[in-house]
Amino acid sequence: MSCSEHAISRVFPVTLAALLVFSPIAAMADAIPEANVDDYQKIIAPLFAKSCMDCHGPKKSKAGIRIDQLDPNLLTGADTERWVEIYDVLSQNEMPPDDEPDYHLKGEDRARIIEWLSHEMQKASKVRKNFGGHSSFRRMANYEYNHALQDLLNLNLQFTETLPPENSSEDGFKNSSKFLQMSAAQLETYREIALKALQKATVAGDRPTVVTWQIPMQEAMDKAAALKQKPIRFKNPDDASNTNHTHVFNKDDGEGYSYQWAYYESLDDGTHYGIWNLKPDTTTSPAPPVSRVVAVIPPSQQFHLDLGNSVPDEGLLRVRIRVGTSERQSGQTANLRLSFGFQTSNEGRMSARLSERDIEVTASAEDPQFLTFDVPLELLPRNPFRKTHKIGDQPNCTEYLEIQNISATGRGNGRPVHLEIDYVEIEAGLYETWPPPSHTTVFFESPNHHDEDAYCREILKRFMTRAWRRPIAEEDIAAYHELFKNYRPGFPSFRETIIEVLATVLASPEFLYLVQTEPDTPSLTISDLELANRLSFFLWSSIPDAPLLDLALAGKLTSPDILNAQIQRMVADPKSQRFNQHFVRQWLGLEAMDNLVVDPFKFGGYDEAFQETLIAEPHAFFDHILRNNRSIMDFLQSDYLVINEPLARHYDILGVSGQEFRKVPISPGVKRGGLLTTAAVLTMTSTGVDSNPLKRGLWLLEKMLHDPPPPAPPDVPAVDLTDPRILKMTPKERMADHRNQPACHSCHAKIDPWGISLENFDAIGRYRTTINDQPVDATAVLYNHKELQGVEGLKNYLMADRQDQFAKAMVHKMSTYALGRPMTFADRGEIEKMATELKKRGNGLQDLVSIVIHSPLFQQKIKRDSENDR
Amino acid sequence: MTDNRPMMKRRRFLQYAGIGLALPWMETFAAKAEPRQKMARFVSIYHPDGVGLPRQDDPAWKDWSWFPQGGERDFRLTKVLNVLEPLRSEITIYSGLSHPAARKVHGHSNADQYLTGAATGSDGPYKNTISLDQIIAAQLGRHTRHSSIVLSTNAGTGAPRATHTSSFDPQGRPIPSINRPKEIFDLLFVTQGKETRDKLARSKSALDLLIANVNTLNRKLSRHDRETLQQYLDAVRDTEVKLLKAEEWIDTALPEVDAHHLNLEVTVRDSRAYVQTIYELIFLAFLSDSSRVATYMMGRENTGGPQDLLARAVGLNNTHALTHDVKKPKGWQNLGIYNRFQAEEFGRFIQKLKDTPEPDGNGTLLDNTFAMHGSASSSFHLSRNYPIISAGGKNLGFQNGRYLKFARGDENNQAYAGIDDDTGWQSDIGHHEIPLGHLFVTILQRMGLETNEFAGIKGGLIRV
Repeated sequence: MSCSEHAISRVFPVTLAALLVFSPIAAMADAIPEANVDDYQKIIAPLFAKSCMDCHGPKKSKAGIRIDQLDPNLLTGADTERWVEIYDVLSQNEMPPDDEPDYHLKGEDRARIIEWLSHEMQKASKVRKNFGGHSSFRRMANYEYNHALQDLLNLNLQFTETLPPENSSEDGFKNSSKFLQMSAAQLETYREIALKALQKATVAGDRPTVVTWQIPMQEAMDKAAALKQKPIRFKNPDDASNTNHTHVFNKDDGEGYSYQWAYYESLDDGTHYGIWNLKPDTTTSPAPPVSRVVAVIPPSQQFHLDLGNSVPDEGLLRVRIRVGTSERQSGQTANLRLSFGFQTSNEGRMSARLSERDIEVTASAEDPQFLTFDVPLELLPRNPFRKTHKIGDQPNCTEYLEIQNISATGRGNGRPVHLEIDYVEIEAGLYETWPPPSHTTVFFESPNHHDEDAYCREILKRFMTRAWRRPIAEEDIAAYHELFKNYRPGFPSFRETIIEVLATVLASPEFLYLVQTEPDTPSLTISDLELANRLSFFLWSSIPDAPLLDLALAGKLTSPDILNAQIQRMVADPKSQRFNQHFVRQWLGLEAMDNLVVDPFKFGGYDEAFQETLIAEPHAFFDHILRNNRSIMDFLQSDYLVINEPLARHYDILGVSGQEFRKVPISPGVKRGGLLTTAAVLTMTSTGVDSNPLKRGLWLLEKMLHDPPPPAPPDVPAVDLTDPRILKMTPKERMADHRNQPACHSCHAKIDPWGISLENFDAIGRYRTTINDQPVDATAVLYNHKELQGVEGLKNYLMADRQDQFAKAMVHKMSTYALGRPMTFADRGEIEKMATELKKRGNGLQDLVSIVIHSPLFQQKIKRDSENDR
Repeated sequence: MTDNRPMMKRRRFLQYAGIGLALPWMETFAAKAEPRQKMARFVSIYHPDGVGLPRQDDPAWKDWSWFPQGGERDFRLTKVLNVLEPLRSEITIYSGLSHPAARKVHGHSNADQYLTGAATGSDGPYKNTISLDQIIAAQLGRHTRHSSIVLSTNAGTGAPRATHTSSFDPQGRPIPSINRPKEIFDLLFVTQGKETRDKLARSKSALDLLIANVNTLNRKLSRHDRETLQQYLDAVRDTEVKLLKAEEWIDTALPEVDAHHLNLEVTVRDSRAYVQTIYELIFLAFLSDSSRVATYMMGRENTGGPQDLLARAVGLNNTHALTHDVKKPKGWQNLGIYNRFQAEEFGRFIQKLKDTPEPDGNGTLLDNTFAMHGSASSSFHLSRNYPIISAGGKNLGFQNGRYLKFARGDENNQAYAGIDDDTGWQSDIGHHEIPLGHLFVTILQRMGLETNEFAGIKGGLIRV
């Protein structure tokens, strides 16, 4: 851990949030304000000279600030944002430092500077409004492009794997106009992706035959017998629950076989690859009645169904498993995980889970339930030899389904809970309709079906309107029709020619960019079409759907009732999950989880699936707050959690069973509630081995309070973890040791205490009371001398003193995301107003969304071409 | 409707593997050479099975330990590598290098990360990253018809964790390798078809239309936003330039190459001749400047496939079993003889590069080529202390004739020496090894790339 580790991500510390403390000055409403430089020179500059200049002047320029060189004209000068930082540290009594009595600033002098600065900032905000900064004109971010293709083509696949990854803005946003670039390689990739997507979306020929397996477990038992698996015979079939290997057996007579799938078997007549494969059925019949012949999967064991090399490339894979559990005692649950994979040789292998979360099995073995999984085959890892090799060849070309029993045994010492399966049904290459909706979206029914030119123009008009989100003129169609005529001789079919042309439509800037047209009237209000686009990219991360686009094309969207109805509709639509998914991920920086390696030796149960559960919690929490329009202050502290069983276990909370997230009230003794104490946040801000107060403090400052500290100086010494003296210390002691070095002190004193108050949480967010057998010391003193007694002290302080700051931070973050551009000084007046309005309405999260959408920031464009443009 | 025939054709076309596809839209050619720059080439040979590493107190140690014995300049080559003695001043041998992300991956599964350094793991989901040769190809490939050539004995991609190719694209997907000498020869030296030309023409009309779209859109935008859109226009123009250059390649005559001495039908059943032919084809690709980057994966790891036949070159069967049988009579010797064959053919190739003057007169082919020969295992299934030999590159700044030891605490390559069971590969590492990524950074820099990082490893390798 070193100072410099956090230097890279925040090159431009722009602190806007804390400046919004003063009251508006009504008198300035109409006059064109001017900068008050006189007062600066007469009153303010001498105060700076006395108390600040030695550290921020010609001798030293700590934090990169030369106060003597800043332009005192905030209205037109280049240093406005620096002044905001200065305002910030002065109004929070952070500067001059307490331990420098020589530079003490008297209360009345401090007040004078603050007053001058607040006046100037207020005027500057007014003057700079609508000028400066980045506009919202940008290309789609990768994830938006992905959703746009999904929606446009009615095809739920992933398209952006081949696009280069994107940078985030300083505060973590991926959709910022400032950072979205374009290059030749990227342009080619866009067209290539679009072509492949269109090839997948459209079809030729007859409906493909569905490949079906109907597998009563008698079939699995016959297989096990044929492959000389170890026979088993239970005197009392109930004993089945005492074995810890997967087996198939008949519950009536207790006879059966062990069932241990392998990619090859050595039998008397030699080695056979892929011999576990089960042949697809040629006819299908209704599911048989529940059978007494079952496959039994003990906890942590798995059961493979080998499907040979018959699984098609495209279409849906539907798996239905009839399953129940052995006897469960109170508190015991059982979960099923289904994966698809292959093993080609001893080492060549891969598998992927078919559902995001494990599925709880609630039925008993006597009265089993069907679990159904639907996954597009295109998303699965496929055996590369499935077409070039035959079953029996080496490398092995077969593919399998793997059913795992992921049962966390309850606290009671009951017997292990087994999964019992009597029947599995698999359909591969399934299409619910033929041709699929993705095809008819492009090639719709038309009387002109047989007139290629006429049909081409119809297709172009409809497709381009959706893709380019604007009325399509005759000349737009004509140009692409020309391209069609040019291409047509090179392709044997109409369909292939059209998709080549449409791939170019999708490589056009009219599709790839979110357009904001230059106002040709004095009005700054954006057009209906632009509003529709902003709304849908904000709430759906994608292009508008047909109803929204139609309203915009008809010019009706700006009518308040219609707009509100549309917002309601959009928030209720499942696509609004994307808002949750992307906004929360970017705001909280959850991407950091991807790069964190949690020590597998120290934290044995922490696996990929658990990490996904961890990451799901803040999303589930956000969803709950949004759906119920609860106060955003719940993000700081709440008396409930939104969790599932694995998280409840992680948090030592009893009585939560199942994988679904739900609201769980907590007693005050449980030191949770709010975002800060979610395992996701605490893990993400650890080193993967232990807690890291610095990362936690930084996270809180950046994400919750929007008050990022300046970057570390470039040459600070790193903490030497090979030094045995340091290695022995607790994280808090290490921080203190580091902080006491002069080069590090001033910044760390601002950051560390926040994180130290969370020391009761380990690297994966579990509560702890000791570190290295010593009691945890989570007492910290903030820069402003406020003492925080552990996590409760921290939350109490945030709720008591920092609600306004958090609200403004939230408004700022959501506006940044909604507009797809960085907020600048010019926007601060509007942000202030929104925060005030939000407080008035009770801080509800849905209200915040609505306030952002109705704000001038969202509904007006920045006037660009002006002298003040910078 | 039965109109899917040409789509099949396109798919088949894409399956024309073995070529690093620098430009996804155009799929075939790298752009035509720009004004001639400093010549640089890169080739990586991967051999499976690692090498012999007997314990120092084993009688076999003196003759059949793969690593040289002695110091940086005064090292002694054992019987495994002394076939390279005549090329001593042209080679460098390394020890103590490995990719940290794979040090506890079983030796059967480690070839995937040899040129990538990625944490490809042993099970479950799989993600790889771009390989060293492809980073180089993105730079050097601009000058040649083929940005890189990707060869193997096994062909195709193989499976995750059982790769048949050393090369991975920028998204970490395996680039299919080709293995038949005839196929390789045709790809390099036989004319491309009309389909490519038609495709280029179609791409050009699409670009014209996109430029028209930009112009229409620009009329609606503010000056500031037009500047943003300029980036898109530049991208279209860059693509146009690339298309034009690709078209020039079609019109450029293929180099005429004398292949009379080659048996293009040879297979790995005749393993020495096969390996020699592959080397010869790489040599011809370099000589004709058809490509400046090549990888050859001599065999996938473990048994079960054509790689089983490699040791037939020295009259031994069951190639992979040689590594398991080291404790049997003549075990170390047999493995050593097999490794000696690999070194010998590498040496033959190096000698040929050395004997061939650069067409522009700037030294020999070898002087401008960095050739790397290695494996991701040292001893039995152990993904550490990769046995690596490099050769050439004098004009690129490489100084040879050295044995560079990088391990601390394992100077004599004795960590887990002599093991023949699976107790070693997942054990803790008692000594200190240096990330191989540092060597890769140095290679990238000397190939003319401005970078200081490979797969998260920052900085070049000292002493190289």
